[in-house]
Amino acid sequence: MRSSRKVRITALLFLAPTIIGLLVFRLVPIGWSFALSFYDWKIFDTPTFVGFGNYAHIFSSPTAYKVFLNSAYFSAIYVPGSIGLALVLAVLLNNGLRSSAFFRGAFFLPYITSTVAVTLAWRWIFSTKFGLLNNFLGWLGVDNAPAWLADPTWALPAVALVSIWKDVGFYMILLLAGLQTIDPTLYEAARVDGAKPIQRFFKVTVPLLTRSLFFVMILALVRSTQTFEITYALTNGGPNRASTTLAFYVYQNAFVEFEMGYAAALSYIMCFILGLFTLTNFYFRKRWVHDG
Amino acid sequence: MKTIRYALGALIVGAGMAQAQDTTLSYMSWDPEQLEIEQEAIAAFEAANPGVKIETSAMPPKDYWPRLSALAASGDLPDVFMMSSGFVKEWAAADNLADLSGVVSDDELANYYEGAASIGVIDGKRVAFPQNWVAPVLYYNIDMFEAAGVPLPTTDWTWDDFLSAAKALTIDENGDGTVDVWGMSLYGRYAHIEPWVFRNGGRYLNADETALELNDEAVNALKFLTDLVNVEGVAPQPQEMEGVRQQDIMPLGMAAMWVDGSWNIANTRSIVGDDFRWGIAQVPVGPDATDDNVAAYAWADMLAVGKDSDNTALAWAFIQHMVGEGRDASDFLGGKVPAYIDIATSEGWLESDKMPANKGLLLEIGAQNVYTGFSKNWSGWRGYDSTGSSGMNGELDEVLNGRKPLDEAIDAFVLYGNDVLSR
Amino acid sequence: MTANLHPNRGNARVTLIVLYAVLLIYAVVTLMPFIWMLITSFKEPRDVFKLPPSFVPKLLFTDHPFENYVEIWTQRDFVIYFRNSAFVSFMAAVGQVFATSLGGYAFARLDLPGKNWLFALVLVTAFVPVEVTIIPEFLIMRGLGWVDTFLPLIVPSFLVGAFGTFMLREYFASLPRDYGDAAYVDGATPFQIFWKVYLPLAQPALVAVFVIAFINNWDELLRPLLFLNSNELKTVPLGLMSFVSQYEASWTLLMAGSVISTLPLIIIYMLTQKYVLQGFVGGGVKG
Repeated sequence: MRSSRKVRITALLFLAPTIIGLLVFRLVPIGWSFALSFYDWKIFDTPTFVGFGNYAHIFSSPTAYKVFLNSAYFSAIYVPGSIGLALVLAVLLNNGLRSSAFFRGAFFLPYITSTVAVTLAWRWIFSTKFGLLNNFLGWLGVDNAPAWLADPTWALPAVALVSIWKDVGFYMILLLAGLQTIDPTLYEAARVDGAKPIQRFFKVTVPLLTRSLFFVMILALVRSTQTFEITYALTNGGPNRASTTLAFYVYQNAFVEFEMGYAAALSYIMCFILGLFTLTNFYFRKRWVHDG
Repeated sequence: MKTIRYALGALIVGAGMAQAQDTTLSYMSWDPEQLEIEQEAIAAFEAANPGVKIETSAMPPKDYWPRLSALAASGDLPDVFMMSSGFVKEWAAADNLADLSGVVSDDELANYYEGAASIGVIDGKRVAFPQNWVAPVLYYNIDMFEAAGVPLPTTDWTWDDFLSAAKALTIDENGDGTVDVWGMSLYGRYAHIEPWVFRNGGRYLNADETALELNDEAVNALKFLTDLVNVEGVAPQPQEMEGVRQQDIMPLGMAAMWVDGSWNIANTRSIVGDDFRWGIAQVPVGPDATDDNVAAYAWADMLAVGKDSDNTALAWAFIQHMVGEGRDASDFLGGKVPAYIDIATSEGWLESDKMPANKGLLLEIGAQNVYTGFSKNWSGWRGYDSTGSSGMNGELDEVLNGRKPLDEAIDAFVLYGNDVLSR
Repeated sequence: MTANLHPNRGNARVTLIVLYAVLLIYAVVTLMPFIWMLITSFKEPRDVFKLPPSFVPKLLFTDHPFENYVEIWTQRDFVIYFRNSAFVSFMAAVGQVFATSLGGYAFARLDLPGKNWLFALVLVTAFVPVEVTIIPEFLIMRGLGWVDTFLPLIVPSFLVGAFGTFMLREYFASLPRDYGDAAYVDGATPFQIFWKVYLPLAQPALVAVFVIAFINNWDELLRPLLFLNSNELKTVPLGLMSFVSQYEASWTLLMAGSVISTLPLIIIYMLTQKYVLQGFVGGGVKG
């Protein structure tokens, strides 16, 4: 059945919605906005052609530079942080105990709760004087706890932490599902060979979970570049842009300053980098993902 | 009583408009809560103009501007929509706003605060009309002043008077070396800083508003303000207060004084309740001020007509109704001052039985030389809404948090701001 | 990994206790903001930002304990917004299941020249921030005459979706090829192999795609904001906006509204969690 004409026609039919949708609702708007990245366009005004003006400006702008670095830093915390935590939680919950359903639900809850509403609670937790965190640290004897959200060193990690908290339950569920595909007899065999739990984790669990891990990693990478609401409600990108990531900067340019051309140019530089990164990942996929 | 007033207003405005048959007028607002209140006035307008239907929609500013911009891009602007003092210049320059010069008569104009009405005139054309205006004021806790034996703020207070009061009101109750109650609460946003700058004759922009060029008066004012935190120690660093909304600090009794927009009267009332007595004062005039350069900081929320509206005359009638005689004093929440003088001066708006007992003080500000300080790309260089922690805001925060000297911060935001302005 | 919890092991009890302690601590931390939101929805406005904060849901001790919830249900058109959100999210989720099961299967199992590039395109276009494509999208929808209808919120979901396509591609690829080959030998067409053999096996994954799509569409704000106009068409996130005014928000109502709008998602999660969990059990069918 490999490549008969019938299969090709079926494939084409199956992919028809994807192709049409990709064309009309993805590629046309993307091409359009890509073209706009060569214009100076206040949304409510007429566009003027500026050639590579927006791109040239971005490459010479210290602000854009800072924002790109912030984004890389954010992803560097968020992607491994959320996947690592999700993996630990998934492994702990993959035990068939009845209570696991409760914990799964509890950990998944942040993912479905209104961001603005819960972020308000986080602002209080991080509050310098009245915050839960600093009062707890004070109780432990820490005197000079930082002003988390107003401190250039801590603001971005704080935003990343809340983002991890929000999404980790989602990744946990995906990994839990993957864990259930692992044949229990493999553990038994490893134990007979004298493997300790930690060894079993690295020798049995992780290798057999690579397919799920790869999927979750790409997903987390995409999400790490789209953070907006949490930043908005937690730090507003501050102090002094310390927690402004690209998605937030794009939003600021698009919908507060209405510089749509500039926002588009920023986006396409980001897409170029991420696209390259993702495709590289797929290229190296075979090296570490065990396709069952 | 209120209903009669609405109906009466609608009749007066609606006279002569009765020929408009089966017309739909779209109206978009940035304040959903305000729109609920306005429904009665809107119904009265519809009743007075048979065949006219007003189609309303409202969303908060953060969502209002993207939507309005999208509608401008597709040529579907509403007939009537709210327009801010901050954006009106750019929206007029983009030719989105209908010219109302022809339909607004001088007799009609005389009914409104001149300062507020002038904001909607761009390049000699009237493109927006004020509904209400707001101005930053000095909020103060009367109980704290009395307890410390400090005389209450007056209109002829100098900055020295203010400073010595702030010092006397900064109190370490238990003598442990940390301040318990601050004399002043300060924050780096436009509503907290600009009133002092403009009342010291300070300006950020050059004459044609194309570049940031701070004059000495502005720099001196910024120095005075940031010194309140860094030298005098009468106001807390913002980072110390992180987690407390800045507009709650004074109402929660953590500071004796605070400067912010008059719209905060509503929130202050709600949080203070009967816990203490408080009042408002004008922001003191600075030492560098002269009769020529001193200005009050105030701006207006306006209504504009979409350029492609088919019903400019009807739209104007609707605006007239919505800003003036069709409205009741109680429609204007908190410290929003009606642009229509008769309503602003009515007891219904003055509310002398509530705090602040001297709400009428706002009207004195409206009679002064008003400067809005807005330019194109203002939200970019100053910082507003989601850009609130960048631009000038971000740099001033660094100074107030003791992380950067003022002159470096000024250099940084001037450089950044001029880049934004040159786009 | 959990085989070490075997009951007759000496240290199993200790391990179990430590495990529970860790999970409980994390559960408390993770639920705190949610509890705070629940408490706030039972407060009076002036108590929301009181410091130090109070944890007393004050309204519960009055004669109008559910005041905030009652106001939302009676004074606003929330019933309508709810119905709209449910309809849009349901339709969009069905659409995603339809489009991505076909697409995911084709990418995983059917040969077509260039299909990997097509898949890469589906994935990479997901990186473009919606903020820069939304205005062109809006102009397209307007050109189609779809503004102020539910079509722009539903139709694209029937065509393309990166998450679902990716997930189902992985899922179908993990199913054994032998089943399909056997059916092929029996004379089944490629469509029959998909429909009769693989789709039933994929049921859990389809449910997972459905749930995630439902959740994402339920929370969507920017598109409804631009594409919808009439009050009768508004969705829940748009409705929640009416609690935010120019300078201030009614936080107690906003919190009550957020609690209510989370409930359907919790219910859907509970009803389907069994399936969501099996959604990725690719190899499960092997054993």
